[in-house]
Amino acid sequence: MERGGGGTSGWGGSKEEMEGNTMVISVLRSFERFMAESADEPSGLDTTQDPLQMRYQQMMRLEEEAEQIHSGTRLLQAEREKMQMELSHKKARIELEKQANTNARNYERETDRNQELLKQIKQCQEREAEAENKLKEQIVANKSCQRSMESLNKKLQEKENQLAEANEKSSVLKAKLSELQWNLMNQEMQIKGLESQKQELLEQLEAQRKQWQEASQQIQALQAKQAQMAKKDQKIQDLEQKLSLQEQDAAIVRNMKADLAQFPKMEWELQHLREENAYLREMKENNGLLREEVEGLQRKLERYEKVQEERVALELENEKLQGKLNTWETLGQSTGLSIKSPSDVSSHFVALQHRELVLKEQNSAIVSSARQLENARKQLQEELLKVQSQLLEEKKMREQHETMARCLQKRVQLLIKARDGMRGILDSYDNELNPSELAPQLNFRLREAEDLVQKTEAHAAEMEVQLSRALEEAGNQKKKADMLEVELQVLKGQESSTDLSIFIAREGVNALRLKVEDLETERSRLEEEKRSLELKLEQVTLQGGDYDPSKTKVLHLSVNPASLAKQQRLEEQAHLREECERLREMVRVLERGGSLPETSEGAASLQSPQEIADLKKQLESAELKNQRLKEVFRTKIQEFRKACYSLTGYQIDMTCENQYRLTSVYAEHREDCLIFKDSRSCGRKMQLLETEFSQTVRDLIDLHLHHQDSIPVFLSAVTLELFSRQTMT
Amino acid sequence: MAKQQSREQGITLRGSAEMVAEFFSYGINSILYQRGIYPAETFTHVQKYGLTMLVTADSELKNYLNNVVGQLKEWLSECSVQRLVVVISSKETSEVLERWQFDIECDKAAKEENTPREKSQKAIQDEIKSVIRQITATVTFLPLLETTCAFDLLIYTDRDLAVPEQWEESGPQFIANSEEVRLRSFTTTIHKVSTMVAYKKEAFP
Repeated sequence: MERGGGGTSGWGGSKEEMEGNTMVISVLRSFERFMAESADEPSGLDTTQDPLQMRYQQMMRLEEEAEQIHSGTRLLQAEREKMQMELSHKKARIELEKQANTNARNYERETDRNQELLKQIKQCQEREAEAENKLKEQIVANKSCQRSMESLNKKLQEKENQLAEANEKSSVLKAKLSELQWNLMNQEMQIKGLESQKQELLEQLEAQRKQWQEASQQIQALQAKQAQMAKKDQKIQDLEQKLSLQEQDAAIVRNMKADLAQFPKMEWELQHLREENAYLREMKENNGLLREEVEGLQRKLERYEKVQEERVALELENEKLQGKLNTWETLGQSTGLSIKSPSDVSSHFVALQHRELVLKEQNSAIVSSARQLENARKQLQEELLKVQSQLLEEKKMREQHETMARCLQKRVQLLIKARDGMRGILDSYDNELNPSELAPQLNFRLREAEDLVQKTEAHAAEMEVQLSRALEEAGNQKKKADMLEVELQVLKGQESSTDLSIFIAREGVNALRLKVEDLETERSRLEEEKRSLELKLEQVTLQGGDYDPSKTKVLHLSVNPASLAKQQRLEEQAHLREECERLREMVRVLERGGSLPETSEGAASLQSPQEIADLKKQLESAELKNQRLKEVFRTKIQEFRKACYSLTGYQIDMTCENQYRLTSVYAEHREDCLIFKDSRSCGRKMQLLETEFSQTVRDLIDLHLHHQDSIPVFLSAVTLELFSRQTMT
Repeated sequence: MAKQQSREQGITLRGSAEMVAEFFSYGINSILYQRGIYPAETFTHVQKYGLTMLVTADSELKNYLNNVVGQLKEWLSECSVQRLVVVISSKETSEVLERWQFDIECDKAAKEENTPREKSQKAIQDEIKSVIRQITATVTFLPLLETTCAFDLLIYTDRDLAVPEQWEESGPQFIANSEEVRLRSFTTTIHKVSTMVAYKKEAFP
């Protein structure tokens, strides 16, 4: 119920929807229609009609439309039912059609099966026929089989017969077999017997083998024994030999025994001899000792003899010495010295030496004092000399002073005289002239003159004072000199007093001094020499170094650049000298005016100027000749060329080496030419080179050069061609 | 390699002789170039001691120098050389104009000992370098050699030395009136070489 209700509600819903839809559509339609009506009707209605009416009309119209829509829906429902009906109908039809189809198919299958069955029937019939045929054949075969069976039976019978025969035979054979078995049995028995025999024999064999082995062992033993035997034989022989030897020995022993009997005696003798021997040895030793002693003694003796001789000599000496001593003693006694022993002498000597030393010291002191004195003396002498020289100087000075003083006195006198004269003159002037006018002047002069005089006087006085002083000095000097002389004399006195005591020493000293002086001079000389040598040495070391020829030698290669250069130079010099000489000779010859002799060297190179001039002339003439020839050749060549040109119609020029340019007389343009090259290296002599013109006569080249291989023909052809061209134009 | 190392660490008699001989070779070449004894175009440049040295390309001269230096090396290793002198004399008059004197002091004790001396090759080469530099610098004060000159090499040796073939004794070839200039010296601790140049005093009118 619910389902049904639901279903109806669903259906109803959809219907309402449908109705809704239709409503909408219908509304739309009505609206459209309305619009169309409104469009149809003029707008005047609108203005005239009442709005209410209008609404009413509209309402009416809507109701009509609703009715129409309602009827439409009903129609639609009916249509839908109809559609459903049609659908169910269609379904039913389709089912029926399906059934019809299946039926048709079943039918077809049945028909097919039928046909198959029919075919099977046919086949079965055929088989039947075949089977019948076969049967027939079988029957035939059967008959033949029966026949063969018969034949086989026959054969079988035969065979049976044969079998029977064979059976008989076999029985016979069986009998034989039994016999043979018997035999076999017997034989087996025999074999067994034989085997037993064999075993027995084998046993015997083994036993024999054992025996053999034993025998062999015995043989070996025997062999060993034989070897032993041999050895023993040898031994026996050896022993026999030994025995014989022993027998011999025994004989010897027997003899020896006899000897032995003598042995103790001999031993005793030996003992005796040994003792004797020892005794003799001792004796020998003693003898050696004694000999040595003798030798020693002899030596001693010799020494003693020597000593003796010496002693004699000493005694002699002693005597001499005693004599001497005596003389000494006598001397001592005579001299009054207490010389009694050498020690005294030596002490005396010592004392003497001491004294000598003292004396020497004194001597040296004296010498030194003497030297000092000498020095002092020398100094004094020098002083003396100085003093003397001073004295002399002083004397000279005094003399000078004296002379000066005299001069001055003279001058003073002269001046006084002059003054007097002047005064006289002045007085005379005074007297003569007006004293009032000239008095002052004269007075002045007078005063001046007086001053002068006074000055000169003062000077003279000064000079005098100086002179006196000098004299005094001279006196002093003299005194000094005197004193010195006195001193000198005193010293000389002293010297003379000392002279005596040290005269000898002084001589020695003098000699020594001389020597020393000599040595000193020599030393200074040597020093100088040394210095000069050192200087030289320094120079040498700086320059060449300490070249010590005793230690060093200077080496150089014998062939060195310097010597080579020198040699070269010498050679060059010699060469130059030689050349110079030669040239000089040549000059001499030339100067003489004679021509050079042919033999002299360099004659060819140096010819006389005359000849040179000749040669020059010749050269000129030759050149002239050459020039003329050239001109002639040129003209001739021109002629020849012209002739060639007019005769052959070609002008031939040599443009460059081995190239000839041919220009025809009839050439249309100047540049039209043919160029040939003379190439001797190639096979052909002349080769045509390509030019602009040659390209225009290609056919002629092909014909005459390539085919006929003739340049003259080609050239004439070209001439003809050009000629024809010219005449045509 | 080991040899090289030992060389760098110390110096042996042989090594010293070699170095000194090498110095002479370059020194003589340098003198010949500087003093114009041979034309400058016969010399080629060589790098040595960190300097550009000039060495003769003249085969004859080269041969001579190699000969002398080879012999010198031998004598150096025997410690029998005392001095090497390069004598420059005028070709015309044979007058000695210059004398380059290299005094060599050999430590003869080095002949016996086997241990190398403690002086690096670098230090010695530096010393040699300064000597060569000085030789080059002497051109500034040495008088111009106006005439063409030739040179000779004298070697002062011990008296007892046997004179080899091609060698002969010579005079010391002193300059009569000379001035001397001492140059630097160098030492390999075995050979000490002190350089000196003597030249003819210019005669002032």
